[in-house]
Amino acid sequence: MTASDGQLATEAAATDPVAERLLRFLADRTKIEYTTDEDLFARGGISSLFAMELVLHLEQQFGVAVPGPELTMDNFRTVQAMAALVRRLQGGEPNSS
Amino acid sequence: MTESLWQATRLVTEAVGAHADSWDRRGRLPDAVVRDLSRRGLLAAQIPAEYGGLGLSSRDNGEFTAHVGSLCSSLRSLMTSQGMAAWTLQRLAGAGQQAAFLPKLAGGKLAGVAFSEPSAGSDLSAIRTEIRTDGDAVVVQGEKVWVTGAAYADLLVVFGSYREGAGVVIVPTATPGVRIHRVADPLGCRAAGHADVRLDEVRLPADHLLSASGAPLAMLVTAALTYGRISVAWGCVGMLRACLAASIRHTSVRVQFGKPLAEHQLVARHLGELAAAAQVATLICEHASRCWDEARSDLVTAAVLAKHVAARNATQGAAAAVQLLASAGARDSHPVARAYRDAKLMEIIEGSTEICQLLLAEHALAGSR
Repeated sequence: MTASDGQLATEAAATDPVAERLLRFLADRTKIEYTTDEDLFARGGISSLFAMELVLHLEQQFGVAVPGPELTMDNFRTVQAMAALVRRLQGGEPNSS
Repeated sequence: MTESLWQATRLVTEAVGAHADSWDRRGRLPDAVVRDLSRRGLLAAQIPAEYGGLGLSSRDNGEFTAHVGSLCSSLRSLMTSQGMAAWTLQRLAGAGQQAAFLPKLAGGKLAGVAFSEPSAGSDLSAIRTEIRTDGDAVVVQGEKVWVTGAAYADLLVVFGSYREGAGVVIVPTATPGVRIHRVADPLGCRAAGHADVRLDEVRLPADHLLSASGAPLAMLVTAALTYGRISVAWGCVGMLRACLAASIRHTSVRVQFGKPLAEHQLVARHLGELAAAAQVATLICEHASRCWDEARSDLVTAAVLAKHVAARNATQGAAAAVQLLASAGARDSHPVARAYRDAKLMEIIEGSTEICQLLLAEHALAGSR
């Protein structure tokens, strides 16, 4: 990923309300400005407790239940992935994997 | 108080009666008592009704847990394990696994949760227990220590490494290759059935591996421990209430230097601090349970905070109670003497005081960068 890709991805988030809300939550809780395709766990700003907090945040904010089989690292690695998970759980999109 | 909470409280009060001291001395809870409480859904009272459970809220189960903790910390400790096993299934299992195992935990079976190992206590990333799939089976190899309730358990919820992350597997204790050795002389919660567990090439049907397996260890462990921490915290509230009640009873009637102990200022200070410790622990547990019942994302930190504050208050409060009752509370299994020993264990399990401090510091730092 290049810096401009990240910029484009972040601009794209403006049209994706789920991603936009997640970016805001992350910025609020970690004081780090992430891009939608950035690996959240690579930078080290995510504590061991915060991973679970993210799960609960998705469930509460978007009215979904994340079942055991969906608690994979890949579903939470990026804002994009979490937004896709939310849409899938809301029944908007079939699971592409 | 809801009807089911009232019923639960009455049932467990009858079951414990005046036996907690002798259960502590013997280091055993009667099998019939714990089986009966499990069968009534009282050991994991938040299991939803659709699985045969009582479906209590975290707040109601918290008050119930505090009540049990005020009577017998060994039994409360067993409740923490059973409830944590149930919650692990609710959070990390697939629908079929939940349907298969949750009714057992509300229907007479007993469960323990196995995290710690000889070389992995606070640092669970060092766990060596290995979970691997082999054809249509899952195989577990490893060694667990200090598993609460394992001496009574029919099922163990075992955490281990799995593929690139961690796994959780349900191990019936009757499976070949499972060996359980009771910890002979625990400092506290002496009747809670702490045991070391050897798992020697234990082969199980693949559906015993919980669906979330493969996720990062921290995520899986945090999910399970969040329940455990709130449960331990409410148990500490119960210990504090019992210590306060015993201290008030004793200092109100015991006369020294011509007046009741409670009228001596140095004694009154202890009583005031003990009442404050109990009230603070209650409020912080109520907050954590509110986060749980409202499914708030700050639950995870609230649970660490509740456990940390309540456990430390309980060790300090129990020490004060022993001081106040002096020789009257200095017999080994007297309620305040039990609380003195039991509370210290609460500063060790489900994340030691120091681990809680690190987690809270990490949280504070993340919020202020």
